[in-house]
Amino acid sequence: MSVFVARRLATLVIQVFLVATIIFLMMRLVPGDPARAILGETASDDQVATMQDKLGLNEPMLEQYTSWLGNAAQGDLGKSIISGRSVSGDIEARIWRTLELIAISIVLSVLVAVPLGTIAAVRANRFADYFLSTLAMVGLSLPGFVVGTLLLVVFALHFQILPQTVFVSWADDPVGHMKLLILPSLTLTLSNAAVILRMMRSSMLEVVRQDYVRTARAKGVAERQVIRDHALRNAINPVVSIIGLEASTLLGGMVIVEQIFNWPGLSSLLISGVLSRDYPVVQGVVLVIAVLTILINVIVDITYGVLDPRIRMS
Amino acid sequence: MSGTQRNRPANRRNTTISRRTALSSAAAAGAVGLSGISAASAMPRISFPATRLQDGEPKPGGTLRYGLSTDPSNFEPHVSTGGASGNLKLMVYSTLLCYNADNQLVGDLAEEFGWVDDTTFQLKIREGVIFHDGSDLTVDDVVFSLKRIQNPETAATNAPYFDNVTDIVAGDGNTVNLTFSVPFAAFPFILADNESLIVSQSWIESGVDPKTTMMGSGPFTFVERLPGISITLNKNPNYFHSGLPYLDSIVYQPMADDPTRVTALRGSSVDFIDYVPYTQMDIIEEDPNLTFASDSETGFGWLGFVHDWDPVSDVNIRKAFALGMDREKMVQTAFAGHGSPITGGLIPEGMIGHSPDLEGTYAPDYEQAKSLLTDAGMNPLEIDMLSTSTYSVISRPAEAAQAELEQANINTNLQLQEWLTFRQSVADAAFPVHVWGTAISYGDPDFLWQMLHSKGTYAAWFHFADEKLDALLDEGRVSTDEALRNEIYHDVEARTLEILPWSYLIRRTQGEAMAAKVKGYTHLPSWNQITLREVWLED
Repeated sequence: MSVFVARRLATLVIQVFLVATIIFLMMRLVPGDPARAILGETASDDQVATMQDKLGLNEPMLEQYTSWLGNAAQGDLGKSIISGRSVSGDIEARIWRTLELIAISIVLSVLVAVPLGTIAAVRANRFADYFLSTLAMVGLSLPGFVVGTLLLVVFALHFQILPQTVFVSWADDPVGHMKLLILPSLTLTLSNAAVILRMMRSSMLEVVRQDYVRTARAKGVAERQVIRDHALRNAINPVVSIIGLEASTLLGGMVIVEQIFNWPGLSSLLISGVLSRDYPVVQGVVLVIAVLTILINVIVDITYGVLDPRIRMS
Repeated sequence: MSGTQRNRPANRRNTTISRRTALSSAAAAGAVGLSGISAASAMPRISFPATRLQDGEPKPGGTLRYGLSTDPSNFEPHVSTGGASGNLKLMVYSTLLCYNADNQLVGDLAEEFGWVDDTTFQLKIREGVIFHDGSDLTVDDVVFSLKRIQNPETAATNAPYFDNVTDIVAGDGNTVNLTFSVPFAAFPFILADNESLIVSQSWIESGVDPKTTMMGSGPFTFVERLPGISITLNKNPNYFHSGLPYLDSIVYQPMADDPTRVTALRGSSVDFIDYVPYTQMDIIEEDPNLTFASDSETGFGWLGFVHDWDPVSDVNIRKAFALGMDREKMVQTAFAGHGSPITGGLIPEGMIGHSPDLEGTYAPDYEQAKSLLTDAGMNPLEIDMLSTSTYSVISRPAEAAQAELEQANINTNLQLQEWLTFRQSVADAAFPVHVWGTAISYGDPDFLWQMLHSKGTYAAWFHFADEKLDALLDEGRVSTDEALRNEIYHDVEARTLEILPWSYLIRRTQGEAMAAKVKGYTHLPSWNQITLREVWLED
């Protein structure tokens, strides 16, 4: 197992280097100038040129790249050229809020979707299956901005029981913070749970038709025990993979939810960085997301190995 | 242009006032102003209606929760980071001049101000003003601040307006004198701008990063910023306007998403929001628990042409565009009626140069537009048009214009780009036609210089130059006689409509909304200023 983990982590360095290089180049290929973003609409060309000099944007690109990469390798992601703040500081402040939402949403999704997906598979083509499959389709079909807006209108505006738009930290107000988490977590959970439920159902359907499950049933093992001890462990592998994918997607893809609920997370930092061509911010955030995504995949792979020794052995 | 006289249309005044005469009389008035007569009387005047809200006995105390439409990128005092963050900076820093509740230019840090002669502007600075760190605000700080704006290294937003300032020195009696190489009548308005803030020389030179913190002499002191969450300001107990501000503190909470901001106000999570989206204006106006303060004068949209790009290089084709739009319908389509059409000049009512006689110059006339196209052999016309998807106040009029132009056989291939990409495309003149929107930047028609003069930014985008317009705009800039300036800017408007460097579209309603308990607020329809120093909260 340790060789397996070491090998996966070794590839992480190469992957991160590639991501860092690609994002550095891509940001400079995107039209639009950070100097213009800073100076506003009526800035003259002379002002733009002065600002470009100030920001070091006129340095040779290779020099900019090696300087940034060297500093990043030492953990220094530089300063935002727009705000002047430390990129690492901004990421550190926001990443926990993003991870907090992702973790809660994934845990809730798994707690809801794995049992319901199993029930749908066990009761395939019966009312429970139809009902749960329809529910999953609804969850998949409703875009996050619709669900989020509806929840906001009902609970924040109409009943005014879950004020959502003003962030309070856990340290300042634990109860207020927990209240804030409810609606965005629900919004994310609905679509995530739908994906996991469908995957769980199809995976379980496949497994319960396997010979070893039939054998277990033939031996007279109780159906509940067949599902729990024989089918579930084998059916869950694809679901683990989906959970990993969902978590990776959410890392940089919570823009809509962050906007609707005014949640100051990583996605909104990334988007504001992209919109203002704040190169250090975008590069820093993408780098962190890349590292986390790769780590999540490593964890998924390790989990595979734990759940299925055949993968570990191969 | 210097020393010449303009030919005036026969149907207006026949007498000719030389610029020299006008300047002399104005200079005399300015000098008197400094001796005691209302300084503002010597200045270019505006009489824009401000929207005053609730009267009553102010009650000190309380915290205003402000839903801010942007998370300010930084606090640099002399570089614009947008209207919303400019207003925030204005709560911490002071300006030399400002607008009062009647939207008149008055002194803020300057007790008196005016033109001493053609090219010398003098300000008498208040004594006893202290910065938030307890140090005295001196004329040296004022000189330092103005020179910082002028310094190319700062890349200050208002630096171009200081191009002709040859000297900034402290004079006797707590005065500061600015010497110009040529007269600049609108200059006082620049001193009231959100980016003409007065900073402490010692604070800036201490090595502090003014992008990340603020320290001024304004009504509120900067307490802390939690990026993406809040910016907190506390009352400045030593504010130089005695008794102000009334609020104990303001907590700005960035809410970039329009519906989120409105929901926060309606759900009582905040007390005040800026940049109310037009889709929510009716809802807010109908809500008895909320108040809406707005104007439809300053924000406007335009259709810009690249003048060396065929066929829009032909003025008749440009006229076809101008005639081929029913702007009344566009106001409905784009802003659900929250705006007004611009069929004549741009200068709004109440400002020097406003020209009601030009209204209707481009009333919709699809047939004439088609006829112009036919004459040019371009009927129907297929053409690329650019706008931005980032701001609906720009993209909506663009879409409305596209629909309207089709009525005149002008079929536009509208492409919407992300904001900075769009700006780059416009700067590169990559499309023959674009739709953009902005707001009038200050309360004097000289704002048109930046847009229409061949040395201005916009003309560079349009690849446009017109000697007659240049001459008029230069003359308007140096003249301080109100009657003469009225004529000059009327001519500017008429000439603009004649040669169409751009075609105006519609004005948009812009405003702030607040809970009914927020009292004492005055919406200034000018130049993005939202001042909260006189706001108070009712129980």
